[in-house]
Amino acid sequence: MRNSGAVLILTFIANLISQAAGVSPPGKPRLTSCRSPEKETFTCWWEPGDDGGLPTTYALYYRLEHSETVYECPDYRTAGENSCFFNKNDTSLWVNYNITVVATNALGKNISDPVEVDVVYIVQPKSPENVTAVVVHEDQGPFVKVFWEKPRTADTRSGWITLLYQLRVKQEKDKEWVEYDAGRQKYYNVFSLHPGKYMVQVRCKPDHGFWSEWTKTTYIIMPDYLSKERSLWIMVTVFSVFVVLILTWMLNMKRNSVELCLLPPVPGPKIKGFDKQLLKSGKSEEIFNSLVIQGFPPTTDYDDLLVEYLEVYDNEQQELVLDGKDLSEDCIKSKSPSNCDSGRGSCDSRTLLLEKCIEGREGSGSDQHQYSQHGETSWASTESSESQGPEPSSPESVDGRVKTWPIVCLSPETQPYHHYQVGGAKPAYHSVPEILSHLSPHATASNYHQLHHQDIPPQEGHFSKLACSHSQSYNQFNLDGSDTPAHGVPPSRSLGYVEVQRVNPENMLLLRPLSDPNRELEGSDCTGEDYSKVKEVTSNNILFLQRETSHQCVDNYSQDLDSQADQCTSQQPPHPCKPAVHQSYSPMPQEGMRVMGNGYVDTTVLMPSY
Amino acid sequence: MNRVKVLQVWLCCVSLCRFWVSHAVPLDCKDETGSLTHCTSISQEKLLDRVIQHAELIYRVSEESCTLFEEMFVPYPLHTLRNQAGNMCHSKPFPIPGSKSETQQISDTWLLHSVLILVQSWMEPLLYLQTTLDRYDDAPDALLNKTKWVSDKLLSLEQGVVVLIRKMLDEGILMSSSVIEQTLAPNDGQSPEVLESVLRDYNLLTCFKKDAHKMETFLKLLKCRQSNKLSCLSH
Repeated sequence: MRNSGAVLILTFIANLISQAAGVSPPGKPRLTSCRSPEKETFTCWWEPGDDGGLPTTYALYYRLEHSETVYECPDYRTAGENSCFFNKNDTSLWVNYNITVVATNALGKNISDPVEVDVVYIVQPKSPENVTAVVVHEDQGPFVKVFWEKPRTADTRSGWITLLYQLRVKQEKDKEWVEYDAGRQKYYNVFSLHPGKYMVQVRCKPDHGFWSEWTKTTYIIMPDYLSKERSLWIMVTVFSVFVVLILTWMLNMKRNSVELCLLPPVPGPKIKGFDKQLLKSGKSEEIFNSLVIQGFPPTTDYDDLLVEYLEVYDNEQQELVLDGKDLSEDCIKSKSPSNCDSGRGSCDSRTLLLEKCIEGREGSGSDQHQYSQHGETSWASTESSESQGPEPSSPESVDGRVKTWPIVCLSPETQPYHHYQVGGAKPAYHSVPEILSHLSPHATASNYHQLHHQDIPPQEGHFSKLACSHSQSYNQFNLDGSDTPAHGVPPSRSLGYVEVQRVNPENMLLLRPLSDPNRELEGSDCTGEDYSKVKEVTSNNILFLQRETSHQCVDNYSQDLDSQADQCTSQQPPHPCKPAVHQSYSPMPQEGMRVMGNGYVDTTVLMPSY
Repeated sequence: MNRVKVLQVWLCCVSLCRFWVSHAVPLDCKDETGSLTHCTSISQEKLLDRVIQHAELIYRVSEESCTLFEEMFVPYPLHTLRNQAGNMCHSKPFPIPGSKSETQQISDTWLLHSVLILVQSWMEPLLYLQTTLDRYDDAPDALLNKTKWVSDKLLSLEQGVVVLIRKMLDEGILMSSSVIEQTLAPNDGQSPEVLESVLRDYNLLTCFKKDAHKMETFLKLLKCRQSNKLSCLSH
């Protein structure tokens, strides 16, 4: 008891002294690693702790798995400082080693933590040896073949250890290595390397263990070469460039035709008869003058047109020549012959159709009278007695009737014509003599002259006047004309026509509406159902139209033919329902209105002016 | 004409059928020399190669299983406590060579028999391991699959080794004889402490891993000896 107490006190004092002196027992060593290069031997290294200021010795002890015997390290030198080397005899596989290191110095000792080691799992072979790289030239291109040898100590031949190899390649300028796994073989072919200097390294590993260290660098220089692929591309490029050049040259040769094809010339704007030089000269007068078409609107040609257009024959021997040619030429804007009703109200004004001549030609059916008219074939208002009705569209001659269209009818389509007509009765009046003059070859000229329009006071809208003039002309025509004008043959369709009854000495045509009951042969419907009769004309120049349904032609045609006025009044529609027309005669309708016989309103006049 | 054509076609068909029928026999096997032999058995070298491949694969899978188990269930500080006293791998009836020198000294017969014993000794423990692993709450499927796979492969390995013994040594051996007594008894059903069972299972896995490696090494040595006895013994 006393000894132990004394020992304790002594050690305590010794510690204090040693601490004061700066020496201490060694620190704890630590086993860093144990490695076996070939699975037959192995080495363990430790790290010494603090030596405590005193010389310290280290000892390694190990114990096998299923025994309690503690052995000490057989070899401290072979592996170097702080290591323990276990040779073949001391190495047992598939058993665990319990290894500890003990550090001892004068003051004490220290034991490291134990480490369990199984040799099989700590195998780290040495690096492969004799790494060689060569360049192999082949058709596809050169490549590098690398081969090496196994580490000397590893016994792969007997199968005791199986090694797997790996190599890596890098150019000096590259940052990273490219690794290739070679498996168990000891060579490898590296393809697709760029020309230049390359570094090659190899390492190995057992199938279960640690990788070895990389070998020292082996250098290989890759030569410059032109791969087949690249040469092919170069050829293709050159060929295509060549082709492109040829195409360009060809295009250049055919430059003009190509231009024509791609960019066809845009025709510049052109006006016929317009000289561009005028624009350049800058004189507006000239420009505008050039824009004016001579002869448009057809002002002076009116008479000519009429003259050309209408040929009236009064002689039955003298056949009315239907100037078909003139028809086609003049009727530029003409409508079809059948469109008698369209747009030309005046054409429907058959009331103007003078049938006085027709009356005189009663019974004669041999006359062929043809009329030519604007825009349509001659109004065959005359017809043979045998025929039922007029054939307006037929250009054939109608015998027994001579009719002249009223001026209004004659130029139905052309607006300016109408307006011209409205503006002045001049054309109306002009036409008559001109017609007559045109027809002079066919008839006595002298007689026609009597019908000069100058006798006729130009009054617009005076239906009676006009009618008178017309009737005058018509009558004149009748007089001078044939002896057998088929006046007596009224058109069956003659609605509202005025027939020339006779011509009085004053050169007046006495007109009679076609609805005259004296004309038994007619048997016609005097008043057209589709015509609108004027009921009343107010002081405001408003025309009241009336629709007529009765077919009766009340002929209030007075036989008073003495005076013009009476004549005119005689032209009043015999209908009892419209005496207004007669009344309205005095307050003559204003411009724009023309009241024809039978109350039929010439709607052409009503057309608005420009 | 038509009749003649039909007859021709029919004759062609018949002749072709005869040819097909005549060739409808199993293909003859050829060995390296090129002569036709009857395909009854596989050559010794090929068999050994296949056995070695099996052993390699078993080892790899067992290594993976051990790692999985270690990561999942074994606390880190206990990694070093493998195979401590009391947790040892079960011993074998006769000593297995433990070093290369020892291995080189034993004969082919002993090598083969060692492998066979090793294989047979692990049949039951692996089955036991499967049952215990199922009891774990969150055992990963990979681990379970691997252990199952390994036990299957071990069976086929055993068959291969038996055939090899018969071929090489001309011995007939009974298969799967439970000569070896298992130190590890199956669990009675009691639920032991978690740590204990974990450590025990861990120990099993590591031991199996070692034995798998042993098998692989022995077989490879055997292969070397088959080709060239002298070169194998050198070094």
